[in-house]
Amino acid sequence: MILTVTLNPALDKFYWLDYLPEDLRPSEEGITIRATKSLTSAGGKGINVSMLLAAHGIDTVAMGFLAGHTGQIILRDVLERGVSASFVWIEGENRTNVALIIRGHEYHPIHIHEEGPSVPPQALELFLRKYERMLRRATYVVLAGVLPPGVPVDFYKELARKAKDQNIPVVLHTGGEAMLRALAEQPFLVKPDVRETLRLGDMPLRTKEEVIAAGRKVVAQGASLCLISHHLTGDILVSKEAVWHFEAKVPLSAFRKLVGADDALVAGILVGLSQGKDLIESVKYGMAAAVASAEAEEKLCLDQGKIQAELARVEVRSYESP
Amino acid sequence: MKVRDFLRRELTSLERSTTVSQAIKLLENSGLSSLPVVDEEGKVVGVLSERDLIRALLPGYMDMLHSASFLPSLDQLARRLREIGDQPTERYMTKEVVAVTPDDSDLHVADLMLRKGLKQIPVVDAQGRLIGVVRRIDLLSRL
Repeated sequence: MILTVTLNPALDKFYWLDYLPEDLRPSEEGITIRATKSLTSAGGKGINVSMLLAAHGIDTVAMGFLAGHTGQIILRDVLERGVSASFVWIEGENRTNVALIIRGHEYHPIHIHEEGPSVPPQALELFLRKYERMLRRATYVVLAGVLPPGVPVDFYKELARKAKDQNIPVVLHTGGEAMLRALAEQPFLVKPDVRETLRLGDMPLRTKEEVIAAGRKVVAQGASLCLISHHLTGDILVSKEAVWHFEAKVPLSAFRKLVGADDALVAGILVGLSQGKDLIESVKYGMAAAVASAEAEEKLCLDQGKIQAELARVEVRSYESP
Repeated sequence: MKVRDFLRRELTSLERSTTVSQAIKLLENSGLSSLPVVDEEGKVVGVLSERDLIRALLPGYMDMLHSASFLPSLDQLARRLREIGDQPTERYMTKEVVAVTPDDSDLHVADLMLRKGLKQIPVVDAQGRLIGVVRRIDLLSRL
């Protein structure tokens, strides 16, 4: 069973727009923007990973905090997609994350993200007890997404330590200080979320060389592997021994949106590893899953046939050892 | 059809020490009519149902009268809830757990629900650990 932790789940709301008015300054008449299409889905990085795993028939449990009416909708969606749900309920309301996807600019959406409900200390204690129970069944743990208010910044570090104590490999799929602190617990794979900053800690990620240097630093701090997106269709995987560059030979015009693609990448890697593929083949499958999701109208492409079809377009190149 | 084909993979559960007030809140949030109670290993050791809670709130003589029409008002129940709200679930849960496994048939589940008057049954793995629940509606919606 693969356990995913999404401490700050969300209801993802996508709106597709033909255009965005050039002048968005407040006016007396207000501004009405009509969507040509919309989509609502349970979300948060770990939940997205679980959804793709479940679509491949892999046993997965999603954990985190749910609250209010939005939490009910998230729970229902998660269960309907075949994911086992073990959430802690708290007061308040889960966040709704809005993405505006404008025709012709699909890979540069406009995001509006809420903060999420505050987690009280008693709920954190209950979560930890449930987490420890679930660890007994887990083969991998995925710690994913931003921390909600009330959760200490070293919480992922604590969760990673508990998993390490049980010899369960951890995939760290988050960013910022919470990710940097958890590196000390030697996660198996780190997929830093650098969407907003294009930096990893104090290191810029503009060029291939900078990405490799940042990956090496993450590995030096304790991770076995670090996978960093280099550009929209390329990822660089760094281990202690080697560096690989994965490239999907896909025109950007094929992409309908990018939201969820990095979660599909992580999930695809775990699908590969769970099916006994080696690391490189697993990352290739993850890349194929990410590309298929970016090309899909739905948030995630759950069609294994379409993912398989993308595999042929993923190339991998190995660089010299560090 | 096997239970694995239609179970609800919801692992919302109580611990023995969960208070009655917390259990009521969790029942409300989950939308379930009962919640499994699990131990440290995730094994189901009891079930707390709405019926168990109502029984806990009613005065003892109600067991004999079988009607709520003898209650002067619901104030009595509210007072009783304030009294037992901080008490542990363990005290009021049903300890004789009726559970099914993913390999059990839909017919077996239906039979259990009818014979034992259950709205919902926990699903456990070979080690007795909770892996989901089956509600009456899960069966009905697939007929």
